[in-house]
Amino acid sequence: MKASIEWLKEFSDINISTNQLSEILTMTGSKVEDIEESGNDIKNVVVGKILTIEKHPDADKLVITKVDVGNEKLQIVTGASNIKEGDIVPIAKNGSELPGGIHIKTGKLRGIESCGMMCSIGELGLSIEDYPEQIEDGIMILPKKYEKNLGEDIVKILKLKEEILDFEITSNRPDCLSIEGIGREVAVSLNEKFKNPRANIDSKKEESKSELEGLKVDILAPELCYRYIARAVKNVKIGPSPDWMKQRLKACGMRPINNIVDITNYVMLEMGQPMHAFDITSISGGHIIVRRALDGEKITTLDEQQRTLNKENLVIADEKKAIAIAGVMGGLNSEIENNTNTVIFESAVFNGSNIRLTAKQVGLRTEASSRYEKGLSPENALRAINRAVELVNILEAGEEISGVIDVYPTKQKENKIEFIPERINALLGTELSKNEMEEILNKLNIKIQDGFAIPPYYRMDIEGEADLAEEILRIYGYDKLGSTLICAETTLGGKNKQQKLEDTLKNLLVDKGFSEIYTYSLLNEKELIKSKIDREKVEQSIILKNPLNEDYNRMRVSTIPSIMQTISLNFAKKNQNVNLFEIGRIYLNKNKNIENNKLPIEETMLSLASYGEHMDFYTLKGIVENIMEASHIKRYELSSNIKKESYHPGRVAKISVGNDTIAIFGEIHPIVANNYGVGTRVYMAEIYLEKLAIYGRANNKYTEIAKFPAIQRDIAIVIDEEIEVGTIEKIIIKKSKNILENLKLFDIYRSEKIGNGKKGVAYSLRFRSNEKTLSDEEIAKLMENIILELKKEVGADLRK
Amino acid sequence: MMEEQISKIAKQAKEEIINSKDANSLNEVRIKYLGKKGEITSILRGMGSLTPEQRPVIGEMINKVRDEIETAIKNAEKEIKNRELINNLSKEKIDVTMPAKKQELGSIHPITKVIDEVKEIFIGLGYRIAEGPEVEFAEYNFDKLNTPKGHPARDIQDTMYITDDILLRSQTSTMQARVMENQKPPIKIICPGTVYRADSVDATHSPIFHQIEGLVVDKKITMADLKGTLEAFTKTYLGEDTKIRFRPHHFPFTEPSAEVDVSCFVCKGKGCNVCKGEGWIEILGCGMVHPNVFKFCKINPKEYTGFAFGFGVERIAMAKYGINDMRLLYENDIRFLKQF
Repeated sequence: MKASIEWLKEFSDINISTNQLSEILTMTGSKVEDIEESGNDIKNVVVGKILTIEKHPDADKLVITKVDVGNEKLQIVTGASNIKEGDIVPIAKNGSELPGGIHIKTGKLRGIESCGMMCSIGELGLSIEDYPEQIEDGIMILPKKYEKNLGEDIVKILKLKEEILDFEITSNRPDCLSIEGIGREVAVSLNEKFKNPRANIDSKKEESKSELEGLKVDILAPELCYRYIARAVKNVKIGPSPDWMKQRLKACGMRPINNIVDITNYVMLEMGQPMHAFDITSISGGHIIVRRALDGEKITTLDEQQRTLNKENLVIADEKKAIAIAGVMGGLNSEIENNTNTVIFESAVFNGSNIRLTAKQVGLRTEASSRYEKGLSPENALRAINRAVELVNILEAGEEISGVIDVYPTKQKENKIEFIPERINALLGTELSKNEMEEILNKLNIKIQDGFAIPPYYRMDIEGEADLAEEILRIYGYDKLGSTLICAETTLGGKNKQQKLEDTLKNLLVDKGFSEIYTYSLLNEKELIKSKIDREKVEQSIILKNPLNEDYNRMRVSTIPSIMQTISLNFAKKNQNVNLFEIGRIYLNKNKNIENNKLPIEETMLSLASYGEHMDFYTLKGIVENIMEASHIKRYELSSNIKKESYHPGRVAKISVGNDTIAIFGEIHPIVANNYGVGTRVYMAEIYLEKLAIYGRANNKYTEIAKFPAIQRDIAIVIDEEIEVGTIEKIIIKKSKNILENLKLFDIYRSEKIGNGKKGVAYSLRFRSNEKTLSDEEIAKLMENIILELKKEVGADLRK
Repeated sequence: MMEEQISKIAKQAKEEIINSKDANSLNEVRIKYLGKKGEITSILRGMGSLTPEQRPVIGEMINKVRDEIETAIKNAEKEIKNRELINNLSKEKIDVTMPAKKQELGSIHPITKVIDEVKEIFIGLGYRIAEGPEVEFAEYNFDKLNTPKGHPARDIQDTMYITDDILLRSQTSTMQARVMENQKPPIKIICPGTVYRADSVDATHSPIFHQIEGLVVDKKITMADLKGTLEAFTKTYLGEDTKIRFRPHHFPFTEPSAEVDVSCFVCKGKGCNVCKGEGWIEILGCGMVHPNVFKFCKINPKEYTGFAFGFGVERIAMAKYGINDMRLLYENDIRFLKQF
């Protein structure tokens, strides 16, 4: 909301600088976003009168003039052809400044001294739209009336200096979407008296009529229209508005159109109440009907666009057709024309959220709708329409017709709030006296009556005690509020198990050379296909109803695509040896949760990705196992029994506890890497972080260090190539019961000697008991059992 | 006679020990004097020929000399070993300026850094960390936060919806309602998390970003407590000389509400690019929990009061580290990441 200082001064004295004012208003809640100043770039340009014009002796196109600038007479040489003796013109004197940083100095033109310059509107930074009587390629000719102002500053004479404050008005304060509302804030913030220039309007009693100039009004949708007021003006003379009105409209960013339309806009800016004006002849049957639109009903709005409405939209109609979309924009069919004689002013209040939805639906957010949508006070509507008629009189734009049609089915309720100063102090942490509080409330026009506070009609936002507290505090001064420490029950701060585990793992991964990343959890289905994510998972995607764009139209069901995008970016930038990790969620619509109005499953993934010569499958596996250790998961199964198309079919493994998959890791499928333009092997791990936290059990008890001696044995066997060493290890562990302290694979051997399709595997085993010293015989027997079992289960032969 | 001979042997032995340059020559000296056929040994063997008066005198003397020689040999041995070690070590000298064998360290993302630093401060003040769903019921994102259907705030925030009732949370304030519903006061939590808004990607916007929400509910919590808490936080986080400024503002779920500016931590309030010359940076929104929010969450507003605050993590990370384009945070170029 823009407001010029000049206009605000009609409501409150302002005796401080604009910067100070904006600071003070910001601190009382009307935040000034910007201060626009104009006219500051014109200096030492004055009103002058041309006394004589003579030919230049040495130049055909130049003339020599004598100009009266009040206290002196100047000789000025000019090439302008639109001037004559006696004209009043703007003179840039020696040492003056013009917009664009132009400095004017005394100089010689073809040998003749020129002590300044006559200015065109362009040179003064003005536009032909604002001064249509002027010409663009000549000197600005000022009205004769300024003959008495010779030598005076042109900025002052033409009122070129303007200071405009641009406010950020919060959604709870629609009353401040008006100069009057901001004026009230200025007065209370500066501790000045609110001048209340509309007092005459407030006390005006206009006779209420059911018919005016043959016009009737009916509200058929009172749930959407709280009040509808109409007044009439006849013998209207459509024409331009006076300069002062145009200037104020422009200062607030509105384009002047004609006196009647300008009056409606002026009242809206001044009082915050949108208005509309109809030509009475365009209202069929002399009957205004406020009703819901019919489904498919069409109307062409003032911007010449045809709009299709439905029964959720409110229209202002006559007996035959809609003549306006209520609160949004008028119809072209009832527009004020140059030959309009009788004008009907409308001042109405509608349901805010309905107007908002309609404006959104038809794609028209107007000055009117943006005010209505915040919920306006019906009590303001009558003042506004009377002000409009007053302005018609002031502008002599027509003749007032007395009487008003006022259909007001739902009266605005007065809020009554229990006023208990102690409770307000208790909420704020202040020690204000009842008197101090009442004084502030009085300034805000909030009445105190029998222990209740009653806000004025225009403050519909003040509904409860907390609102009163805020009003008191913002005028008392937020900066005067003390800083205290909470005086309450002690609470124990901290992180839960998973949060602590996340910290541990982050530290571990940073130590291992991994850098943390943040990627988007929104993506497009194409990415899931590029990453070869299982169809079953893709079908669990959560799809947005109103995505930002098609690239981000669903939630990710896997972190592979977003991580591959990151890998791809780094690869393209030729970054070498890249290790990345992310802790981020995936979102799964399992069991049609969304369709059943339940929330989907969100799982937190720890994802690792890496490429470069330092990385291979077993290095990655080591890091994954470190993660398991750091998570205190000791018993888990690692197997190759997993099908994930995103991975290399022969280089992928899963880790599980029971039936629960904890991690999947391996080499990304070369096709997937290729889909992302990555021409090297990429390694990736997807780890279910919540499950790490669930299955992890940190030691909370010390186990005595074994004091009996250990026995070491080696074993070398030959098995079929397809048999995974993991299978052999499982057998050895099973047979060794609890005395196997350590098992280490130390050799894998292939040769023609042991035969094609065979491999030799050698392990070193260390046994130790917690209870006794193991005997050689015991261990010999155990080794024999292990070898027998290996032979039985996997056909292993002892290698000699 | 005998005494003279012994003294001579002793003197000679000591000289020879000093002159021994290595373990071998030293060993020869030992054999020569202390060995089975050594000179000292021979004298001991010849004791029989002495008079009974001479025997104890000479015996004592020879024993003393033997001890002296043994000690001298031991000392010489030590010295030789020491010399040999020094000699060996000097041969092992390496060039310590050669490159190290090391695993390069990774890095923590600036977003996490800010979140972690903030968490630590509030944990120290007795707060717990709460987390919740990103795909959320509109009820928690809006209705329970005093933002009913038709409220303009629902429009302003431009939320991304899944269905009419389920959306991507546009603020971590959702956790206010969730925590209050599930926990009895006293409540002291902070909630870091991902939020979503329909903002196109540019240098200062991202459809996905992060917020940290704080909530305190108990008996007798005041707005001055809120100011005190945020002052303590900003001074700890941004430096002891940080000033804060409360400005009135409006949020549907707090009343009174405030926006909080801190004195610019880049220029210390003098005015710079980061604070746009104002000397202040707006960093968070806060206020006293609205009585309606308490009612929606079944907490009696006559008995309890509370405050809430929330801020954007990216904004702070960008200001703190001088990052001028938000896209850098999500692009994850390793050359960017490794700087943190």
